[in-house]
Amino acid sequence: MVNLVLIFLAASITHNIVLTYFLGVCPFIGVSKKIEQAVGMGLATTFVMTVAAIVTWLIYHFILIRFGLPFLQYVSFIIVIASLVQIVEMFIRKFSPPLYRALGIYLPLITTNCAILGLTLFMVLRDYDFFESVVFGLGSGAGFTLALIIMAGIREELECCDIPKPLEGAGITLIIAGILALTFMGFSGLISN
Amino acid sequence: MNCNINPACDKSNKCFGCGKEFSKGLWGENPIFVQVLGMCPTLAVTTKAVFGLSMGMATTFVLFCSSLVISSMRKIIPPQVRIATFTVIIATFVTCADYILKANFYTISKALGPYVPLIVVNCIILGRQEAFSSKNSVLKSLADALGMGIGFSGVLILLGGIREFLGFGTIFQQEILGKWFEHWVIMALPAGAFITLGFLIGLFNLIRSRK
Amino acid sequence: MKKTMQMISVLTMVGIISGAALAFIYIYANPLIAQNQKNEIKEAVFNIFPEAKSYEPVAKGGQQIFSVKDPEGKLLGYAFQAEGNGYQGAIKLMAGIKPDAETLVGIEILESQETPGLGQEIAGNDFKKQFIGLEASPEITYVKNKKPEKPNEIQAITGATISSRAVVSILNAKIEKLKKILP
Repeated sequence: MVNLVLIFLAASITHNIVLTYFLGVCPFIGVSKKIEQAVGMGLATTFVMTVAAIVTWLIYHFILIRFGLPFLQYVSFIIVIASLVQIVEMFIRKFSPPLYRALGIYLPLITTNCAILGLTLFMVLRDYDFFESVVFGLGSGAGFTLALIIMAGIREELECCDIPKPLEGAGITLIIAGILALTFMGFSGLISN
Repeated sequence: MNCNINPACDKSNKCFGCGKEFSKGLWGENPIFVQVLGMCPTLAVTTKAVFGLSMGMATTFVLFCSSLVISSMRKIIPPQVRIATFTVIIATFVTCADYILKANFYTISKALGPYVPLIVVNCIILGRQEAFSSKNSVLKSLADALGMGIGFSGVLILLGGIREFLGFGTIFQQEILGKWFEHWVIMALPAGAFITLGFLIGLFNLIRSRK
Repeated sequence: MKKTMQMISVLTMVGIISGAALAFIYIYANPLIAQNQKNEIKEAVFNIFPEAKSYEPVAKGGQQIFSVKDPEGKLLGYAFQAEGNGYQGAIKLMAGIKPDAETLVGIEILESQETPGLGQEIAGNDFKKQFIGLEASPEITYVKNKKPEKPNEIQAITGATISSRAVVSILNAKIEKLKKILP
């Protein structure tokens, strides 16, 4: 049980998926301009991440390993993720049009979010069991959302500041991300396993 | 599935010969500086110049092969399933690249780690297939792929070189600065990657606005 | 109907060709990868046991270890792999222990992603040589900012306590398991 909590904390804070492992940086730069956008994207991504972790874990252990097909890992994982996003999109569109309108544009973008494929790969590399994988998916999503919200908050504040022209957009965002990464490093001592 | 790519050249690509298709990836439409794509591997593996080079080459390999296959098949891939087909083709080449690295360049493969399979979701590759290879001849697509790949690799080597120089005092494992140099450890950490790339993009924009 | 047929046939064709290409690459690469991993282990074992001539895997009580012999066939000790979490990621190491399971022969760090210049120094010679001849009973301990006084003590790297501590606890955990099945 403690192990699961540790994995969650590690994925969301001390080894934040964006700030430590550089996964999910593209949407991180693109969608972090407003806090509501950030929350929407974060929640949608967390959902997809958790479900993806579950499905890919099952596929890996019950199909790929059982039939000796480890080389199909990347192909099968990405197909799962792409299909999942498609299904989630259709599902939300049918059952909750207001939610779809709010999240709509972000959903297709999630497929190319390296964080999702990344977390499924890490899950395999670290040999997590089923529950560890679920918690890892949740934690990574939480960490991603956290980083996104913090970044959006900062960028909203920055709107009234004078930023040198060449640094506008991607430049200043990356520099801020760097400072955030530094701050998050301070959390590393939290978990002393 | 969108990648937010800049389709600037498609409308007027009839006036471009192969040479221009190639060179646009190096500067004018540099995947990292201009299109701001493919950030994940750029930041993750550029702790040393040699890793930047290896990742750049692996990505260029996948880009080249995918563009070759996809532009050859562009007339027979039905539009509704194009993304799925592109993705499977790209993932196949990435798996090949990964296994070749593991078999023949073991130490580099260990250093690049899980970032090689992540080439699958590198927006640059899918972006180029969607925007270009699926609509242009094989030769032009290859030129485009090579240009983008080399432009990408260039930035990786640059970033890797800077971080290695300031963080370890070496370039391509050759000791440049002596023992007197106090290593900027931050350069070897994620924070240094973000900050350096941020400034590099700023510098690039500055140069571009001056031209 | 024709469109659907075309979609299905293109997808299937692509799927089959990729599957075949991947299977082919796998068959080619797998033996090479296994060889690379073997070489890595071999190098580590011979670094830890310089007088060794040969080593072979031994399975005892659920643990996979290697027995290391000198040119005369005398048992020099056992080499074992252990891993655990460090500061930045997983640390994988190889260590050598004398046949009595009381004294270490040395360690080699196989994989680590610690902070370069600080935690990564666990792979440096200064840190590693502290483990040569180190007593492993009752367990290995570490001290900070002063020279170790006891035979089972090492000095943690300044500014890299977490990484140093990780190595120590990884070793202790594994040695405890080994003590139950050795000598």
